[in-house]
Amino acid sequence: MLSVTNVVAGYGAHDEVLKGVGMTVAERELVVLIGPNGAGKSTLLKSIAGFLKPREGAITFEGKPIGGLKPREITRQGIAFVPQEANVFPSLSVEANLEVGGYVDRRATKGRIHETFGRFPVLAERRAQEARTLSGGQRQMLAMAMALMAAPRLMLLDEPSAGLSPAAAQELFALIKGLHAAGMTIVMVEQNALDALEIADRGYLLVDGSNAREGRASALAADAEVRHAFLGG
Amino acid sequence: MLEKTLQLSLNGLMAGAVLAVPAIGLTMIYAVLRFVNFSVAAHMAVGAYAGYMLNAWLKFSAWLAVVGAFVAAGAAGIASDHVALRPLRGYSALTIAIASIALNLMIESTIRFFFGGSPRDYAIPLRRDWTFGFLHVGPQQVENAAIALIAMALLFVFMMLTITGKAMRAVADNPMLADSKGIDPDRMARLAVGIGMGLAGIGGMLVGLDTSIDPLVGFRAILSVFAAAVVGGLGSVPGAVIGGLAIGLSEELSLLALPATYKSAIGFLAILVVLTFRPRGLLGAKTA
Repeated sequence: MLSVTNVVAGYGAHDEVLKGVGMTVAERELVVLIGPNGAGKSTLLKSIAGFLKPREGAITFEGKPIGGLKPREITRQGIAFVPQEANVFPSLSVEANLEVGGYVDRRATKGRIHETFGRFPVLAERRAQEARTLSGGQRQMLAMAMALMAAPRLMLLDEPSAGLSPAAAQELFALIKGLHAAGMTIVMVEQNALDALEIADRGYLLVDGSNAREGRASALAADAEVRHAFLGG
Repeated sequence: MLEKTLQLSLNGLMAGAVLAVPAIGLTMIYAVLRFVNFSVAAHMAVGAYAGYMLNAWLKFSAWLAVVGAFVAAGAAGIASDHVALRPLRGYSALTIAIASIALNLMIESTIRFFFGGSPRDYAIPLRRDWTFGFLHVGPQQVENAAIALIAMALLFVFMMLTITGKAMRAVADNPMLADSKGIDPDRMARLAVGIGMGLAGIGGMLVGLDTSIDPLVGFRAILSVFAAAVVGGLGSVPGAVIGGLAIGLSEELSLLALPATYKSAIGFLAILVVLTFRPRGLLGAKTA
């Protein structure tokens, strides 16, 4: 469904965070990107989402090249990106955030908001509140719900559990697991590598902007290098 | 004294409602583009002259001419932004604000080239003031305040209830995130400039209806307009309304203690006080 080949990308003219990264994601797969800080996990997601133009390499989605398209064009292709921070509009109400989330498919907005409020009662209770008043966990739920408003076929999640309480992180992982079980294709960057590998199908270990390991999530979780990178053991 | 205070308060509120309209324009453009566009002054004049042509030459009523003022100033705003300021996006807010002052001079000079510098009057009937007890009020003032309120109500409906208005507020909050939700931030910026300068045009015409117009009709008001936006919090539309009313009231009430010549110092004073004690203004949430 998604294929990334040999992508080189960075933030400045001579800056190479990604030094030729590859990844493939099949339909209905949950793939997790793990690796130390600065390995390029988030940069890879941002390159797929259109925030960074790959200098080299190719990104294709459902057979179409999407490398270098603008974020709004990527979204219209059916890819939803949930950034790690600043992922809701703080001065808009919860309901207005959802409406904006459904901007690419406005005719379906009404019905989808209804569904969303059924699925996330906590958002329904706070529908008229400004998003800035939400707790970290609620904000992350809203960010996920906004992404779902566009009815994406692929979701890119950048460290969804960052900064959440253990309980809120559990709730979020349960949501992601549920989406995956319902058939959503997901690529997720996670700092909690072992927790993430537990719910994922496959994983990629990135080190210093390059592929280091890839494989079944269970195999990666048992891999000595992975355990070394994350558990210091 | 009480009677005078009440009379000045009434005048101040009506002047403030008119002031709020271009202040909303200024603050809207700031919210989306993050710089103060001082050519609001010249676009007030564009609106005033467009309204003048429709009203004095083509005999449209003031109510209809105001719509023309909005459209003409909005179109001029989009065009002038595209030609003069858009190429500077990416430079500092101060650089673009200074460029907007240059743009302002050019537009005002263009108006002077075609219309000359002498004052012109709208074709509106002279009417006797209405009297309520000891309070006097001009029918034109009331009409102007009513037009200002209607313009603000329409803007409120647009910003709060339409998906395009919500998308524009989303761009003001976070243009990158808005982009990834499928919204074109450039298009929204153009729309914000069009509506913002259109509102400036309405403001210019309302000021002109109260007195007369010349190419500097907006320039004379811009300090008060800017003060209204700063007091309310740059980038906040409700703030600009409250700021407009606050500046209008203060300017009128200053007449109790100061000669009329010092009225224009109130705007300066308000900016100074707000920036010293509450730099983000009354309703501003983000750091300006």
